[in-house]
Amino acid sequence: MIDDDAANRAGSANGSAEMTHVSRTGGPADGSMESLYPFLYSGQTDITAVLDLVRQSTVAKAEEILELRREVRDAAAARLAACAQDMAARFTAGGRLLAFGNGGSATDAQHLVTLFLNPGADARPLAALSLASDPAVLTALSNDIGVDVVFARQIAAFGGPADIAVGLSTSGNSENLLRAFDEASRRGLLTVGFAGYSGGKMAELDTLDYLFVAPSASVHRIQEAQTTMYNILWELCQAALGQPAQFRPVPVDS
Amino acid sequence: MTPAARPSASPVAGLADAYARELFGRREDPVRDFAGQAAAVAAACHDMAIRFHRGGKLVAFGTGSASTDAQHVAVEFVHPVIVGKRALPAISLTSDIATVTGVAAHSGLTGVFCHQLRYLAAPADIALGISADGNCAAVLAGLLTARELGMLTIGLVGGDGGAVASGHVVDHLLVARSRDPRVVKELQVTAYHVLWELVHVFFEQPGVLSPGVVA
Repeated sequence: MIDDDAANRAGSANGSAEMTHVSRTGGPADGSMESLYPFLYSGQTDITAVLDLVRQSTVAKAEEILELRREVRDAAAARLAACAQDMAARFTAGGRLLAFGNGGSATDAQHLVTLFLNPGADARPLAALSLASDPAVLTALSNDIGVDVVFARQIAAFGGPADIAVGLSTSGNSENLLRAFDEASRRGLLTVGFAGYSGGKMAELDTLDYLFVAPSASVHRIQEAQTTMYNILWELCQAALGQPAQFRPVPVDS
Repeated sequence: MTPAARPSASPVAGLADAYARELFGRREDPVRDFAGQAAAVAAACHDMAIRFHRGGKLVAFGTGSASTDAQHVAVEFVHPVIVGKRALPAISLTSDIATVTGVAAHSGLTGVFCHQLRYLAAPADIALGISADGNCAAVLAGLLTARELGMLTIGLVGGDGGAVASGHVVDHLLVARSRDPRVVKELQVTAYHVLWELVHVFFEQPGVLSPGVVA
């Protein structure tokens, strides 16, 4: 999964967001499975047609993410650079990055943390903790109090005024993120949010210093654009710390 | 989002903006290259659907950053984001820290996934190995073990594909052609999102899942 919000999930029940995207590229507009994949309902088994449609759909999804990244670039490049400056100042002051999210966004939080903590090559390792990686803590809080507090309680336990709280959500509505930002803001952390759609409830918060929205209705494309945004945020942060952008290049075909 | 609208007035900030925009631009050619591999994506989806149809499960693995992708893949299949899509069985080998660190401490990291595959996987299953450069020893060894077990093997790799590509160890290879491991990761996220979604196209048409049906 990847979605972190039940209401949002229910919203895509008929004519899923993903399939709707396919229809944009030329298929029938109603987004139903039958209109998008008519051969599925023709009673025939035409494997070549199925493979061809899957191929076309793959190309269409690649075009979607290209377009979404351009939108995100235009909306967020300057703010990503400013955010990286603020984060660099926090790291210089001894701060740490605390990252959190639910479902697929929990894996993004873990990725973000290992990117900062163990970047490889000549990049500068920076202190970072994932609040989504310890099943003992997560299940204890969920079982004893409720899932809404799993990140806020950890921020109360670990967060200091020099730290940086980064929360990732596709819907922007996850209650445990909203509560975490509230706790982080009260404690003076720099607060950074990633959301999709139109930002959801995260767009209404006054507890967020930076909000980066991937404006798409596809949970998948949202996550892909968010991954790009936080990878670029990391690279800008390294640059802001005076560390030239370094990575151990992966060999490519010449 | 008032505080988010922070102006960037200084020349330094202007340079940083331009740099940020350039970083976005680096992502474009690799995506176009991925689109060029659409036929390979379709073939992989078809074979994956056949395995699921036979009762197989997906087993994902990778080290470092790719370990988080393995977990993402597992949750993607088990808890579909699109309502109405059936849950398909998938596990990540990177979430059991006790076993991963236990095997690694005893006999090294290279054999961690091999050990888990030998006890957790079946011949009908699908192995999905993820590595930014295709040279991760643990992923390579895991894919070789998976092949010995008779599993369908899929490699999500980057750069030139590394040893996973040159060793011809997988049934399906998708290469994210970028030198930057972070751009590779972004493409791999797209790749497994697409694999998940489009497996269902075959799965919803069981007539194309018989062993005798080939393109």
